[in-house]
Amino acid sequence: MKRKLIAAIGVAGMLFSVAACGDDGDSGKDAGPESFKGQTLVVWTMDGSAPADWTKDVQAAFEKKTGAKVKFETQQWDGIQQKVTTALSESNPPDVIEIGNTQTPAYAATGGLAELEDLKKEIGSEWTDSVNESSIFEGKQYAAPWYFANRVVIYNKKIWAEAGIKDTPKTRDEFFKDLEAIDKKTDAEPIYMAGQNWYFFDGLIIGQGADLVKKDGDKYVSNLSDPKVTAAMEIYKKYASFSSAPKDKDEANPQQADVFSKGKTGAFIGMGWEAATAIEANPAIEKDLGYFTIPGETADKPEGVFLGGSNLAVAAGSERQELAKEFLKVVLSDEFEGALAKANGVIPNKKSLESSLEGNAVAEAAAPAAAVGGTTPLIPQWAAVENTPNPIKAYMTAVLKGKSPADAAKDVESEINKRLAQEN
Amino acid sequence: MPVQTQGTDTAGEPDVHKAEARPGPRETKRGTRASRGRSAAAAPYLLLLPALLATLTLLGWPLVKNGMLSFQNLNARQLIQHLTEWNGFDNYQEALGSSEFWSVVQRTVYFTTANVVLIMLLGTLVGLLLARLGKRMRLLLMLGLVLAWAMPIIAATTVYQWLFAQRYGVVNWVLDKAGWHSMADYNWLGTQFSTFSVVTMLIVWQSVPFVAINLYAATTTIPKELYEAASLDGAGPWKSFTSVTFPFLRPFLYATTFLEVIWVFKAFPQIFAINEGGPDRLTETLPIYAFVEGVGNQHFGMGAAISFLTILVLIVITSYYLRAVIKQEEDEL
Amino acid sequence: MKRSLFGRIWPNTTAVLLFVVFAFPVYWMFATAFKPRGDIITETPVWFPTDVTLTHFDKAVHADHFWTLVRNSVTVTVVAVLLSLVIALLASFALARMRFKGRRGFIVTFMLAQMAPWEVMVIAIYMLVRDSDMLDSLVPLTAFYMMMVLPLTLLTLRGYVAAVPKELEESAMVDGCTRTQAFVKVIFPLLAPGLMATSLFGFITAWNEFPLVLILNKGIEHQTLPLWLSQFRTAFGDDWGATMAASSLFALPILILFIFLQRKAVSGLTDGAVKG
Repeated sequence: MKRKLIAAIGVAGMLFSVAACGDDGDSGKDAGPESFKGQTLVVWTMDGSAPADWTKDVQAAFEKKTGAKVKFETQQWDGIQQKVTTALSESNPPDVIEIGNTQTPAYAATGGLAELEDLKKEIGSEWTDSVNESSIFEGKQYAAPWYFANRVVIYNKKIWAEAGIKDTPKTRDEFFKDLEAIDKKTDAEPIYMAGQNWYFFDGLIIGQGADLVKKDGDKYVSNLSDPKVTAAMEIYKKYASFSSAPKDKDEANPQQADVFSKGKTGAFIGMGWEAATAIEANPAIEKDLGYFTIPGETADKPEGVFLGGSNLAVAAGSERQELAKEFLKVVLSDEFEGALAKANGVIPNKKSLESSLEGNAVAEAAAPAAAVGGTTPLIPQWAAVENTPNPIKAYMTAVLKGKSPADAAKDVESEINKRLAQEN
Repeated sequence: MPVQTQGTDTAGEPDVHKAEARPGPRETKRGTRASRGRSAAAAPYLLLLPALLATLTLLGWPLVKNGMLSFQNLNARQLIQHLTEWNGFDNYQEALGSSEFWSVVQRTVYFTTANVVLIMLLGTLVGLLLARLGKRMRLLLMLGLVLAWAMPIIAATTVYQWLFAQRYGVVNWVLDKAGWHSMADYNWLGTQFSTFSVVTMLIVWQSVPFVAINLYAATTTIPKELYEAASLDGAGPWKSFTSVTFPFLRPFLYATTFLEVIWVFKAFPQIFAINEGGPDRLTETLPIYAFVEGVGNQHFGMGAAISFLTILVLIVITSYYLRAVIKQEEDEL
Repeated sequence: MKRSLFGRIWPNTTAVLLFVVFAFPVYWMFATAFKPRGDIITETPVWFPTDVTLTHFDKAVHADHFWTLVRNSVTVTVVAVLLSLVIALLASFALARMRFKGRRGFIVTFMLAQMAPWEVMVIAIYMLVRDSDMLDSLVPLTAFYMMMVLPLTLLTLRGYVAAVPKELEESAMVDGCTRTQAFVKVIFPLLAPGLMATSLFGFITAWNEFPLVLILNKGIEHQTLPLWLSQFRTAFGDDWGATMAASSLFALPILILFIFLQRKAVSGLTDGAVKG
């Protein structure tokens, strides 16, 4: 009973607000910023995305431009999926939400995100195609690319010198030789490679030109038994053979940067900010830190990398759509997009802004690989595959423990296919 | 000291009989009864009203809603767009038809049994030890028990995860130093059995204090005369345990076992936080399974269906005790 | 009866060992919270923090809106527990002392209510609260926490009420008290330790709850401490020092409450039962 009543009120309220919008639409356009005055836009960013100074500057610029305020609400990672899904169903959702690039297609498919075609036309002509791809669903723009990052090799110069290595490797084979040298000549662990560093594995798959899913009729199925994926896994296995890290843990447990900070590990493959974590754990390590691009098969092409990153989306249920778009224009302007890239050492959404990375050793090591970077399959069904427990991680552990890649793939493919077949 | 339910009922019994044997109060009782009449008849219902209302609105209503969801195809899209798509018994059919569900049920039953047996056994032993200790040692052990008992679950799981960490965990270090070198780099979360071992240690560690402290408190209420009488009859320590202590504690042990069964069966954060039901989903018990399928995979209808099946299984497991309670209440009246 | 030397030593040795087993994880949490980051993950455990630091606590306390969350957690927990005690006390009096039709049905209902799978019902609860326009409020949260602890509180209190000898109540009534007066003046004081003990369970449940508050209250001004506690464990790995410092702070009020109430509760119960 009560729900019906509420629903009825809701419908009445909607009619009223539609009418109000109609009125506003005409007069609003002329009035410009005036109509935004006194409003407050709510923006969800993930923990660690928006630096404090940058946030302050954005708030000031936004208020100057529109007369409205913006409230940043930092979100924690625990349970974020439940939070975003439920929030999008509410009558007063956050107006702008940061969404991981690999998650974007799934959210676009739910109808919870507003379409942003006109915004793309207005400010998005220069967006790099490879990073904008994830924001497009069924041919339409549903989010705007914000920032991206990929992994690099972070190494301990002291240990490398001890092993008699002069230069950083340019090819994968050279890299393996260096690791062997460290293994023989020092008592350090050559590289820390947790068994389930799955995004590094995804990079290797991208490097092999393989895809994790294939089309079977009109639906997607697992492509894990593809020979190219097997080849990528063999490379991963070779890397892992230089490490005594747990085979069934990912790089976060324990945090590989913490292990590396002890000074007994030659290298690890990680994100730029992980170097900061290592320094925080052991300040003495800072002077020994070095970075280089993950080397590929040949010297002219770096290893494939998973290009992780975030898009900014506008909630379909937001009552402040126009204001939200104004906000996106401010944040994604060259000024603030460049400032964020500089402050966080992340890759911006257009090539022309990459100059802001100059002087940042990590970002400079990361940028060359970004050009050959890729993502997980950009289909709405993919997000389910990565849900805990991630079957691909199980596959990796099984292979590292000695199972043949074909058998290991067979074991998890039914689970992957089941998840891919799920309706959204 | 929760749950003296049955125990104190029995403990109170002799007094009640005494009271009834005395003529005075009894007559007074009759007198006041007669003078009050109808309002007295309504009294129990009035007293129960708030509890009943709360249960109906705060538990009954969500349960009904949950029941409705279990007959729907409700995923992220339907939730966000407020769509209602009925799909009949599809969710139940799919759950009951999958072999996975049945192996989870079986696993949950084994897991619950193992934990409850351990908890009750160790809890009883520690409780009896408490009764035997001198004052100072008792206080020390109580302190340890209370610390473990009061530790918030979230904090406890975090600490355990870390004590059993493969590379830098204290447990592996100690085992290695104690001469068991193959454990130096042992991965506790690598197999189903070892993961369950860690979870079991955590749950037993958290639950034993409750049983032990309550049991100790219950033993202090055993009249000394009973032991004296037993020793006059020539009973040794074991005999006096089986003939005096155990019968006295029996109702308490039943009630506690019932509660522990419910708590262990429903254990959620302990299992989920330690290894998220891994490796390979092999340590998922029913509540975890329902959560992963429902909330994790965003198939909320399916999750609701599994949650109902979960309650059914729990009721079946506890039915013996529930029947006993119903019977006992009948006898009392 | 004199016990042998062995008979005197083994209980004490066992007690000390058990103390270590039960207290060590708690100790380890506190100890870790005080260690500098480099001492936390080590090849050889640092058993006693020699190089004490407060940075982790500093980080934990200076998290966004920390004090608001403390206030919310305390409010929600205390109100939920008090409400459940009052409601349960009324009901348990009826169940323990009165005879009426349907009594068994009520008892079984509350026993079944204990089995409610709250974690999996969060979506159903969320939809009800959302559709009643009550999101971002402490009221539904308090109400549901109250309900989570009500069945056990009620059944436990029934035991305590039953343990108070009827004759006390009756003799008070002989002295001219009404049944209500008898309850307030005679029974309630005897029940006080029981009430405190029972409240412990409620405190710990409400204080810990995570899945419901996660999706009901998304505005940080309306959140509670378990959400704060989870923020030091991110997708990128755990900041153990800060996690342990936060866990210590989180556990402290409950630990103090337990140690304080536990002693009263045990002595209260035994006193009541023996003297009765």
